[in-house]
Amino acid sequence: MDVIYGLLPGMLLLGIIAVVIFFWAVKNGQYDDMDGAANRILMESDQKKDESNNDDEK
Amino acid sequence: MSISCYHCGLPVEIEGSFSAEIAEEKREFCCFGCQTVCKTIYNAGLEGFYQKTTEDIVLAPPPAIPAELSSYDLDDVQADYVDINSNIRTIHLLVEGIHCAACVWLIENALTKQTGIITAEANLTAKRLRLTWDNSKTSLSSVLHVLGNIGYAAIPFDPETAEGVLARKHRGLLYRMAFAGFAMMNLLWISIALYSGADQGEFRNWFHWIGFLIATPTLFYAGYPFLRNALLGLRHRYLTMDLPIAIGATATYAYSSYITFTGSLYGDVYFDTVVNFLFVILVGRYLEAISKREALSATTRLLELQPKLATIVTEDGSKVIPIRSVIVGDLVLVKPGEKIPVDGVLVDGQSAVDESMLTGESIPVVKTIDDKVVAGSINGEGAFTIETQQVLRNTALAKIVSLMEDAQASKAPIQCTADKIVPWFVVVTLSLACITFFYWLQFDFEKALLAATSVLIITCPCAFGLATPMSIAVATGVGAQNGILIKQGSALESLSKVTQFVFDKTGTLTQGILRVVAVKTIAVMTEDELLILAASIESHSEHGVAKAIVDEAETRKLTLSTITGFLSSPGQGVQASIKQKQFFVGTHRWLKAQNITIEEQWQQKQDLFEGEGISCVLVADQGKVLGIIGLADQLRKDAMKTVTSLQQQGIAITVISGDKETVVNAVTAELGNITRYAEVLPADKSQLVRNLQQENIVAMVGDGVNDAPALIQADVAIALASGTDVSIESAEIILSHNELYKVAEAKNLADRTLRTIKQNIAISIAYNIIMVPMAMMALVSPLVAALTMPISSLLVIGNAVRIKHRVKSK
Repeated sequence: MDVIYGLLPGMLLLGIIAVVIFFWAVKNGQYDDMDGAANRILMESDQKKDESNNDDEK
Repeated sequence: MSISCYHCGLPVEIEGSFSAEIAEEKREFCCFGCQTVCKTIYNAGLEGFYQKTTEDIVLAPPPAIPAELSSYDLDDVQADYVDINSNIRTIHLLVEGIHCAACVWLIENALTKQTGIITAEANLTAKRLRLTWDNSKTSLSSVLHVLGNIGYAAIPFDPETAEGVLARKHRGLLYRMAFAGFAMMNLLWISIALYSGADQGEFRNWFHWIGFLIATPTLFYAGYPFLRNALLGLRHRYLTMDLPIAIGATATYAYSSYITFTGSLYGDVYFDTVVNFLFVILVGRYLEAISKREALSATTRLLELQPKLATIVTEDGSKVIPIRSVIVGDLVLVKPGEKIPVDGVLVDGQSAVDESMLTGESIPVVKTIDDKVVAGSINGEGAFTIETQQVLRNTALAKIVSLMEDAQASKAPIQCTADKIVPWFVVVTLSLACITFFYWLQFDFEKALLAATSVLIITCPCAFGLATPMSIAVATGVGAQNGILIKQGSALESLSKVTQFVFDKTGTLTQGILRVVAVKTIAVMTEDELLILAASIESHSEHGVAKAIVDEAETRKLTLSTITGFLSSPGQGVQASIKQKQFFVGTHRWLKAQNITIEEQWQQKQDLFEGEGISCVLVADQGKVLGIIGLADQLRKDAMKTVTSLQQQGIAITVISGDKETVVNAVTAELGNITRYAEVLPADKSQLVRNLQQENIVAMVGDGVNDAPALIQADVAIALASGTDVSIESAEIILSHNELYKVAEAKNLADRTLRTIKQNIAISIAYNIIMVPMAMMALVSPLVAALTMPISSLLVIGNAVRIKHRVKSK
């Protein structure tokens, strides 16, 4: 059971790495738009025929 | 059930008035804007947008596009927002009209099809767009134009100045929450080990030390806001909910540390309790911060809505400059349809100006030389020059913003039932813990410490803390299903105590649109003939009156004749010839000025109409008056039902309006016994609410920018989803289906919620009455505590869920 003396600090280390990654993600703006990205992935899938879209005001 | 608009989903008022063949099917629209937007979307091959909008999302009709887009291409103007030294530029745009994920998809797809656009990322939560484009291939104005064509109005803004500080604060809270979450997850493993027997063997101390290592930074880093607020509160002699949280957490932590350091075999450690508790409360605080941040961003947004550019007239001609360069005394040219950029006095030209944003008045006001105009109002059909009197922060619009900020700062936080009980709760808990400690001290120090701490832990406001939030969470969910969006839970509690409802008139009690309500003609002419005449001429005008007449003609399925020589005198009348005959449609005064004799009978009819709150236009040929058309804004269909249902509950009703007294009285006449205030300015609206608040708890229902200060001032603010963004953001409750009757339903929901909250508080107090004496007698073992604490919480949660069923069975 002595392995526990090593496992627990190891677990903490992994946890701290996760926290650091999370802080980085927040700083990076990953959490700025919580709803948009989740839906975007579903919407991008259907490709419409790509016609050149002329701005009719011109 | 009427047909709803194919684009925005709002009900179509008159079938067939805006319909178009789209993809070989006939579709109905609510307005011209929706129709154009839908056509553009189909032409661009982006019709997938309509499959992506879910059924329950109601878009609003597209907002008006700012008229002067080309000026945004000037480097002078862009310098505020982008680095103008390179061709690849990035800008943040505030986009009005983003409602759902489909909007994001539409914007991004429409933009990336354009040449010269490198990236376009729309943010759904913040309603913003981050755009990177190549200035040598496209221009900012053409991008804004594309956005306008698909129904979104975009304005550049600078995120750092707008909310840099707030965003950093927000982020700090998120870090603390994340850290507490990490600590909780790791500590729970240790707790499981300890519960399952490790606290007896050789690892007991090792586990305790690891727990101590995790809990220490959590308490002092993640728990810092609570410790700080508790100390601040103590210094100001005010007992807040933070105090029992801080005491509970610190006492438990101190006790566990004591066990850890002494290596005692007698007690147990409760590091996991400390950490879990902090985490759960931080999650709540974070959610609260999100809603506060949204409310604040609305205020900054209002300022962003101010025009950014002004055309000034100098001796060398006119030029466009950024608004901040305009100084008092400059002559500013305002073109038709533009937003007026500064407060000033008209020195040349004339026009009708839509001031509804500031005054709530539904009909544009005629402005001639020496009249004052205010920034933010919208020019009608005429061009004019004004001499600048106030710029930027001194304009009337900016004053509304500061009014909102004042109201926000001066408003006492809503006193929830829980808030009122907390100070007593804290005092009682602390004294009971002290009594316990000193009683047991006579026998054994360790036992005394254990017993005193368990009093603190047992009373640790678990069920008590859940009593209110849980009921509100359930009520919020039930409300959302019924089209009542509750942005701030505490609003429900105050709503149930409301004794006075204040309604805005234009757009809230009424539909906010002018309608033809009466037509009178000379004997030889039918009503339809007169309408054909008037509508043919007015169809060339954009004025609200013109729209009403044309709409009426379309409802009656009249065919309009072709006209020539259309001339418009803004705010007064229009003229044109039909088959070589000249006709006039306009106000009494204007017709007189055109040398048309107006017989006494028309004067009488007009007076009669105006007494009923109906505004009139006269129709005439070159010699004499042919008829009169009366227009009015009408009550919503459910206004009567709403008012009576509220009155039956003993609630007083007040109507506030910027309109004239006769109009207000006439329009609201059928509502009977209510208080009416007419000609109230936006600033006075919030003052009026404040006066009412001295004797009543006031709920305000409104929809316009001019209602915003009053909405914030009121104890509870309710906005209709069809209203402006600013009013929606300043309200605590939003009625998403745009039905006024939901006001009464929200009130019922609030009553039911408050009853549940009271029951829940009773449950948690009962729990404390049973458990605290046991803890004081040092009879509570960790096992008993572990069993009873979740039971009390479950009871509270279960009771809250009943709100849902009770609403359903009704």
